[in-house]
Amino acid sequence: MKEVTRREFLKLVGTAAGIAGLESAAFGCQVAGQVGGPGPQPPQEVPMLGIWPFTGAFADVGPVLDRGMSLALEEWGYKVIGRPIKYVKRDDETKADTATRRVEEAIETEGVKYVIGPWSSGVALAVSEVAKRRKVLHFFSGGTEDISGKRCHRYSFQWAAHAYTAADTVIKTFLRENPGAKRWYLLIADYAFGWSLEKYLKLVGEKYGVQVLGADRHPLGEREFSGYVSKAVGARPDVVAMVNFGQDAIQAVRTFYNFGWQPKQPLIMTWSAGVEELVQLEPEMRENVWVGTNFYYTIDTPVAREFVKRYREKYGEPPGYAPAAAYGMTRLVLRGIEKAKSAEVPDVIQALEGWEGEDLLGKMRIDPRTHQTLRPYFFLRCKKKSEMKDQWDFADLIGTGDTPQPRELNGCQDIGSL
Amino acid sequence: MPDLAATVTIQLFNGLVVGMIYALIGIGLTLILGLLDIPNFAHGALYALGAYLLLQLLGLTGSFWLGLLIAPVVVFILSMLLERLLIRPLYPVGSNYVLLFTFAVSVIVQELIILVWGPVGFSVLPPSILAGSVELGLFSYPRYHIFVMLVSVAVILALWLLLERTRYGAIMRAGIENKTMVSALGIDVYRLFTLGFGLGAYLAALAGVLMAPIRGLMPYMGVDILPFAFVVVALGGLGNIIGAIAAGLIIGVTQSLTTQFWPQGSTITIFAVMAAILLIRPQGLFGAR
Repeated sequence: MKEVTRREFLKLVGTAAGIAGLESAAFGCQVAGQVGGPGPQPPQEVPMLGIWPFTGAFADVGPVLDRGMSLALEEWGYKVIGRPIKYVKRDDETKADTATRRVEEAIETEGVKYVIGPWSSGVALAVSEVAKRRKVLHFFSGGTEDISGKRCHRYSFQWAAHAYTAADTVIKTFLRENPGAKRWYLLIADYAFGWSLEKYLKLVGEKYGVQVLGADRHPLGEREFSGYVSKAVGARPDVVAMVNFGQDAIQAVRTFYNFGWQPKQPLIMTWSAGVEELVQLEPEMRENVWVGTNFYYTIDTPVAREFVKRYREKYGEPPGYAPAAAYGMTRLVLRGIEKAKSAEVPDVIQALEGWEGEDLLGKMRIDPRTHQTLRPYFFLRCKKKSEMKDQWDFADLIGTGDTPQPRELNGCQDIGSL
Repeated sequence: MPDLAATVTIQLFNGLVVGMIYALIGIGLTLILGLLDIPNFAHGALYALGAYLLLQLLGLTGSFWLGLLIAPVVVFILSMLLERLLIRPLYPVGSNYVLLFTFAVSVIVQELIILVWGPVGFSVLPPSILAGSVELGLFSYPRYHIFVMLVSVAVILALWLLLERTRYGAIMRAGIENKTMVSALGIDVYRLFTLGFGLGAYLAALAGVLMAPIRGLMPYMGVDILPFAFVVVALGGLGNIIGAIAAGLIIGVTQSLTTQFWPQGSTITIFAVMAAILLIRPQGLFGAR
């Protein structure tokens, strides 16, 4: 009797694992199949790859990233330096192994030379390795400092603000509004982007007199936050600052709310998507929540205003950080190709290094030494339900910061050769 | 910082509440597995469907209670139709086909949810009389969480009474023990399966509705909870109600205590504990089959 049950159980587990594998493969084939063209491409075309998460932990972000990149390409008429652009899309399933496999495949079969994405920092480090090996230009937006730090190389660029800049903006602006709130508790997603921000929140916090009472890491994809909330609340901090993303962040905010943390006490979402996350919460859950973000749709620059207008017209909702990043990165790559007057990767890399100009976020510059984009980071205060003028009026933009990471803290010793 | 005793007490309490919730999530699955001998891979999708129907009913009526009443019943009816029309023909072909079919249902339901409600998630506030926290001396705890725990206890008790104290329940238990004998006694085993499947689906949807204010909604929410439902079933013993409760409590408490002392390990510890116990008792804590 005992043996039969054990066999049954193993069969169950084996089938479950097999099915999980099948489901991912099936979806991957579905997304890959959307893009046409077997065989090598005519030399005229400039194939650009968007490697986005359509399934997995960040599945809600894939579709909007796609929108952002498409919008940028549309603005340019799907053409650059007189050559047609081919937009190739692949699902990375928020997994490093799937991402590297699909990027390699896109390079092989579609002749992709420009890779934009992925979304997850952990996956990005893997994709960056592929970019270096295959000598394709890679633009990424995310929280890991390693892309422009110790894992830097000539082929990868970082669009998002540096974790140092983000931490500085968040702490500085929050303390300006809440001067006494010096006892902080941190809740961190346990992976690349979480570790970078945790490090700088602690480092920069010291500068401002912040006392970090504790920092707990939660697994990526965690859904049961009651234990973490109990622990954080028990330490009696003035503020809880979270470093997490997507569904993890949303679920954590919900749980803090259910446990009565906000609106009495403040909650910080240190590195948030903005619109994409806030829309999934009820207004009551957002009260006394403070949000640090790489983009918010009320940013007042000519490019941003135009982008937000076109995005809203097309999709009926304002863009958050994700589509703005995809849009912004695509724009920079296209501007690089234009500046270089060539679609050859080494030429474009050299055109982008040291590039300076007015773009989506205002004044932006790409540091040639690290490939870090120097640009502002934004801090918002969420509105009470009664203060909201419409369903999208989530927050007020109350501060920006663009303090770059000090040179001595940067891990990029030598960005190397092409 | 609070002292160790206070901290452990808080996390133990939290573990019991979360544990009963896991038990509720797993109870429908263990029933179907025990009765029909198939791991219902659509369990998560039915859980999700319950939650999304609640959302729809909330939008239409503004009443959480109406949603709680109606949504699981709708899923109950739909599931019985599904079983009768599409699963029953597969029984003679083999249990592997039934298993694969339930997996297909899970994918279809998930994609339908995306088609109807979109890929972006939602939050639901607890009904106003259950909002806020209750002071429990050492700490305050969300009223709604306690409500869900109590409802889980009540539901599982009601299920136990149904199975142990009614004629219908006796037939179902007999069906779990020995289908052939029950059939030989002249009872329509297939009708038993349809009702059993419906009941399991009802429990899945009920869990989805109750969990909506706690976990919110998003299309992949079924995929998120399915592993935990399976842990409850495997650890408790296939088809065993008491087992599901015990398993739920064990993983709930394990998760909460681990979160306190080793935060990164909260999820992995659940599976490690399950693996450890199954190594010693492969049939699960209360499994007898």
